[in-house]
Amino acid sequence: MTQFLQQLINGLSIGSVYALMAVGYSLVYSIMNFSNFAHGGVIMFGAYFGFFYLTLFRLPFPVALIGAALSTAILAIIIERTAYKPLRNRRAPFLYFIICAMGMSIFLENIIIALPFIGPTFRTYPEIFSKTPIKIGSLAVGRLDLLMFIISAICLGLLVYFIDFTKIGKAIQATSYNIKASALMGINTDFIIITVFALGGFFAGIAGVLFGMKYTVYPQIGVITNKSFIAAVFGGLGSLPGAVIGSVLLGIIETFTSGYISSQYRDLIAFVLLIAVLVIRPRGLMGKSNEDKA
Amino acid sequence: MLTINNLHVYYGGIHALKGVSLNVNKGEILTIIGSNGAGKSTLLNSISGFLKYKGEIIYKDQKLNFSPNKIVQMGICHVPEGRLVFANLTVEDNLLLGAYLRNDKKGIKEDLEKVYTLFPRLKERQKQLSGTLSGGEQQMLAMGRGLMSSPDIMLLDEPSLGLAPLLVQTVFDIITDIRKMGKTILLVEQNAFKALSIADRAYVLEQGKIIMEGSAKDIANNPSIKEAYLGVKK
Repeated sequence: MTQFLQQLINGLSIGSVYALMAVGYSLVYSIMNFSNFAHGGVIMFGAYFGFFYLTLFRLPFPVALIGAALSTAILAIIIERTAYKPLRNRRAPFLYFIICAMGMSIFLENIIIALPFIGPTFRTYPEIFSKTPIKIGSLAVGRLDLLMFIISAICLGLLVYFIDFTKIGKAIQATSYNIKASALMGINTDFIIITVFALGGFFAGIAGVLFGMKYTVYPQIGVITNKSFIAAVFGGLGSLPGAVIGSVLLGIIETFTSGYISSQYRDLIAFVLLIAVLVIRPRGLMGKSNEDKA
Repeated sequence: MLTINNLHVYYGGIHALKGVSLNVNKGEILTIIGSNGAGKSTLLNSISGFLKYKGEIIYKDQKLNFSPNKIVQMGICHVPEGRLVFANLTVEDNLLLGAYLRNDKKGIKEDLEKVYTLFPRLKERQKQLSGTLSGGEQQMLAMGRGLMSSPDIMLLDEPSLGLAPLLVQTVFDIITDIRKMGKTILLVEQNAFKALSIADRAYVLEQGKIIMEGSAKDIANNPSIKEAYLGVKK
């Protein structure tokens, strides 16, 4: 029983960070109908921003975290303006967007490797939080795991509030349903697209810092984000609740696989899950369905 | 109020509008009738800023050359064909999105009440997701949402499309009511008979050209129009 709860807590912790990344995929997909594979690169930049803010500039952790998130939000906007906006202006087919996103992802990874003062070396975050776990009854909860969960939960709560209760949030929902009709409401859809990239980028930065602290920082850290993409597909691309539920479930499934079977099967299970979802229920748990009646 | 001079629109190699000129006077219901593919929706999409065109569109002495959201701000509201309500949002959220550009909370609230008086059906369903509404209710929602932007002119694209005959009459009655609220209306319709019965003036659009214009009465009584659009044999 103790082991079960222990695994569950680890799964929730890792799953909540997946959720932070997955909402970035889902937000962009919901408006623009393509999977922004450059998102992994943005998360990787977030890990580096956080690392340098902490080590080079010696900023306190909360400042470094928010700073990294703001930096990646700006990075995501720059990516949108330089890579995707020209395609949108030309009304390019969606395949072009995916190819462009993959190219951008490779570019981001390699620019880090090519920069002389960064390069391909692995870096370890300074130890900000003690490694001694907190004891709750017979359970031992890692301080970092707890922090990951709390920060992610706060971020997701803020996002839900923003989307459901603010005017811009409603406009995002409207634009995701029909971009032409939202323009007819006077919504500046170009601004909505920027907002969505900024939001995705902001959470990517936070996720990058948390992952960098949990593991290490290296140029290919974005590969981990494939998992959050799987989670977004599992939950239903384009759906925010779907992305969160898919991520938490994936996190739990992964930790249970490592805990009860073998950690070698962890990634295997994740990809089998992706294929199973695509075969059995391509729109995922809560994906966009055809709600339109008229 | 709205003047269009020599408008040309191309879709790739297709010349969809071939030099259309027209003008809409303040406070009138102007209808443009024409068959499928005549270019009616193209005309409205050009006015609301979705298409590139040659020629000029002048609104309140200003040349329109803006993105769709700026055009809404100028008091032009386009209720699109197929209604395009936000099925993922509630009826009330849809209406409030219509007022997206406005910041006068009091005015928005008053207009919301006005819309609910005009469409009591929407009030009954204000918390319902708009995707669950019937086609007729969705049309009412689309028009109500348009009114929420407090426009001076409304461009209505095929409001009666796909509705049951009884509802068609309701929709046209409501259009007359909206005009009484002081709005100018540019109505594009395939249901020429109904459109001509409520309009002041009419243009007939055929294959991208205006082939006839006049008072709605004259057009309705024109023998060739009768035969082509109203189904009356000579």
